[in-house]
Amino acid sequence: MNALGKTRITGLAVEAGHTGAALAEPARATTPVVRVENVRKSFGDNIVLDGIDLTVPAGTALVIIGASGSGKSTLLRCVNLLEPVDGGRIFFEGEEITRKGVKVPAVRQRIGIVFQQFNLFPHLRVLDNLTLAARRVGHVRRREAEERAHELLGRVGLVDKARSYPHQLSGGQQQRVAIARALMMRPHVMLFDEVTSALDPELVGEVLVVMRDLAHEGMTMLVVTHEMQFARDVGDHLIFMDGGKIVEQGKPAEVLDRPQAERTKRFLRRTLQLADSLEELTIDEGGVR
Amino acid sequence: MLAANFDWQFIWDHLPDFWEGLKQTLKVAGIGIAGSLAIGIVLGAARAHRVPVVSWLAATYVEVIRNTPILVQIFFIAGALPHFPGHPIRLEPFTIAWLAVVIWGGAYNTENFRAGFEAVPYRYREAGLALGLGRLGTFFNVTLPIGARIALPSTINTNVSVLKNTSLLTAIGFAELTNTAYSLESESFKATEVYFALGVTYLIVVWTLSLLIRVVERRLALPEAR
Repeated sequence: MNALGKTRITGLAVEAGHTGAALAEPARATTPVVRVENVRKSFGDNIVLDGIDLTVPAGTALVIIGASGSGKSTLLRCVNLLEPVDGGRIFFEGEEITRKGVKVPAVRQRIGIVFQQFNLFPHLRVLDNLTLAARRVGHVRRREAEERAHELLGRVGLVDKARSYPHQLSGGQQQRVAIARALMMRPHVMLFDEVTSALDPELVGEVLVVMRDLAHEGMTMLVVTHEMQFARDVGDHLIFMDGGKIVEQGKPAEVLDRPQAERTKRFLRRTLQLADSLEELTIDEGGVR
Repeated sequence: MLAANFDWQFIWDHLPDFWEGLKQTLKVAGIGIAGSLAIGIVLGAARAHRVPVVSWLAATYVEVIRNTPILVQIFFIAGALPHFPGHPIRLEPFTIAWLAVVIWGGAYNTENFRAGFEAVPYRYREAGLALGLGRLGTFFNVTLPIGARIALPSTINTNVSVLKNTSLLTAIGFAELTNTAYSLESESFKATEVYFALGVTYLIVVWTLSLLIRVVERRLALPEAR
């Protein structure tokens, strides 16, 4: 009883005081890392997120698919507070991060994000790209930061590129540096926003392998992607978004192989990777059918 | 062509005078360049990030300075401030001198840095924010180093102009290089010699400054532009 109480308190102080029923619940380790509750977001008249609910348990990989404009990138950006939500709430490890007065930089240090365009700092060498935030806001000494940076560069297979500038690297290498940079802050969750969409086809694999390994090591991940094979192999849960709503969700293989909703079926048909051949596809005013 | 009776000896004899004037010019220009860069970075950042009130004040300052002749600004600081109704402001000639060029150069550098900061792609700032650097940390570690490098070529023009514009301080009798030459000429009537030497001196000094800044610019340029 005593030991159980202790684990609960480390998770979240607010709920630790609850009695009886609360204590009977599973231990604090099961607090979802990310919980999104009825989140709404518009840009002008354009409703981008229309009441999104989702839960990402620790150590799982959530894959988000959908056509461009379906709101999937905006959803990720809301989780990292790069976009303010219009309504609803987002919880990170049990704490509401969409409330007023939350320390935004502190939250972001715990939530790593990797962008489609890499966004490496062009004026800094790879090593300094990695150590910048750790030294400036993580208050890690330069030597320690550089040791960790080298270790992470080793994990993404780029130890020999520490002294290079971003523009000297290929897209795939830059993206792996970006992943290592995000990992420097020891995030509790990683967000991947179409990280292979800007890459040449032959460079996609090296980035996906790094992400796969990360998932296998137990990193909690939210992955927006068009890589259906990755979704199938690495994802624990998959959601299909359309028009700012979650249209369908479930085990990746189930949704991909036996989509139920008409919109999911149409989207998957249009996604060339899943069509048996280009010959199957026709085009009309609504796009590919 | 220089006349045959060009008096080289006169120039040689008065080199120490030129040197005294040049020292004043360099002092004022040095403060002018440093000060106007500082003003440019601070107000340029306020403009680019649309900091309330400060941004508006900075815009007004830039418009006033850019749309009035610098000579008028110098006369205003030297002549009008001491007679400011109710609260006269008395300033040393040297203070008036550097103040005038700092204020002038600051306005132009505000525009230079504003443009530089605005040219920093948002995705770099976003990367800084996403790493938890905060708004100020993102400015100092991302926007400033990238934006300042973008702004550098245009600030060079402003900095060279600051140096050249110090010659206008002769209008208030401040003993910088031009004023020194003017005094020499009015005592000796050797206009050709004096203004020839003056021109050559400026040419050497401004040229040296330009080269110097160009070296700095090349060293600081974004790696992909080197």
